[in-house]
Amino acid sequence: MSNAMKILVVDDFSTMRRIVKNCLQEIGYTDITEADDGNTALPMLQAGSFDFLITDWNMPGMPGLDLLKAVRADARLGKMPVLMLTAEAKREQIIEAAQAGVSGYVIKPFTAATLKEKIDKILATKAAA
Amino acid sequence: MSKSDLLNARYRAHVAALQGALDAGDDVAFHHAFEQLREGMNVEFMPELRRITASAQEALRKFREETRLDDLAANEVPDARKRLAHVVKLTDEAAHRTLDLVEQSGPIVTQAARDAAELLEAWSAYPHRERVGDSLWPERAHSYLERAVKETEQVRNNLNEMLMAQGFQDLTGQIIRGVISLVGELETMLGQLVRLSNGDETVRALRVLPATAPDLSRGVGPTVPGVNGAPAVSDQDDIDALLKSFGG
Repeated sequence: MSNAMKILVVDDFSTMRRIVKNCLQEIGYTDITEADDGNTALPMLQAGSFDFLITDWNMPGMPGLDLLKAVRADARLGKMPVLMLTAEAKREQIIEAAQAGVSGYVIKPFTAATLKEKIDKILATKAAA
Repeated sequence: MSKSDLLNARYRAHVAALQGALDAGDDVAFHHAFEQLREGMNVEFMPELRRITASAQEALRKFREETRLDDLAANEVPDARKRLAHVVKLTDEAAHRTLDLVEQSGPIVTQAARDAAELLEAWSAYPHRERVGDSLWPERAHSYLERAVKETEQVRNNLNEMLMAQGFQDLTGQIIRGVISLVGELETMLGQLVRLSNGDETVRALRVLPATAPDLSRGVGPTVPGVNGAPAVSDQDDIDALLKSFGG
């Protein structure tokens, strides 16, 4: 997938959305849309033509885990790469996300390098599949 | 028996004994009669007193149970203090990190500006291009440009680091949000306590937050040392390994 990839960034804190957007722009991704909760993100995903989802977990309306499950359950969205970017770091949580079909998992605080590495890894896995 | 008949029957003898002792100036007799009167009154009022005490105790017991008072006092409020202390630490670290980067970048940019100004001045001192060739200007300019390439990259990196340092706001925001929730519960609980102490024994049970363990599926926020229960996975390699063994 080229750098024309359309990415949706979901986090209830606008500062974090800005940071992620800047990181993505630094590595060449410029088509970035933002959402502040799973509830607002899901209809956007269903209506739009997004190629990649980056989502937080701890959000007041629909948490990231539920958004992931909704994406995986959707016939059209099911195979979308989903990267969780979150401060949730308990072992059971990571396992739960893995079992729900998350493509990658990055813990906050994170570095731009780690974010890039995980995105590249997910895309490589997808390309190989 | 009428009420006044009852009182008469119960207390006339005691009153008469008190009066008699007073008239006789007999302190001992007076105190004895007084104690007897007091005991009589205790017997009469004791059941009512017991009822009131039991009712108040029951109201307090219900209050403790339904507001999770014990858990709040022993665990959640001390935890909240640790959480807020951690917020202070995170914001302090982020501010210092940003200031460090500003302090590193400032001199680089200041010196680069100075060097550029000097070069420009040297250029304008030579109105005829051919004279410039005699000076070391081209070499100086080349050296400046070499430095500029490295220095702008350094400043660019510092700016990126500053960007990442602002991530504290998300983490501290999540922690503070949790404490706000707890304060809300305390506020409701204190309101009930005020009503209870005003004699409202029928304080309605307001279940403000469910008395269950934090829901990991919803997310519990950033790990706070000494507070959040089970230890967190912090190594990215460990996370990747978990994803591999449990996921697709």
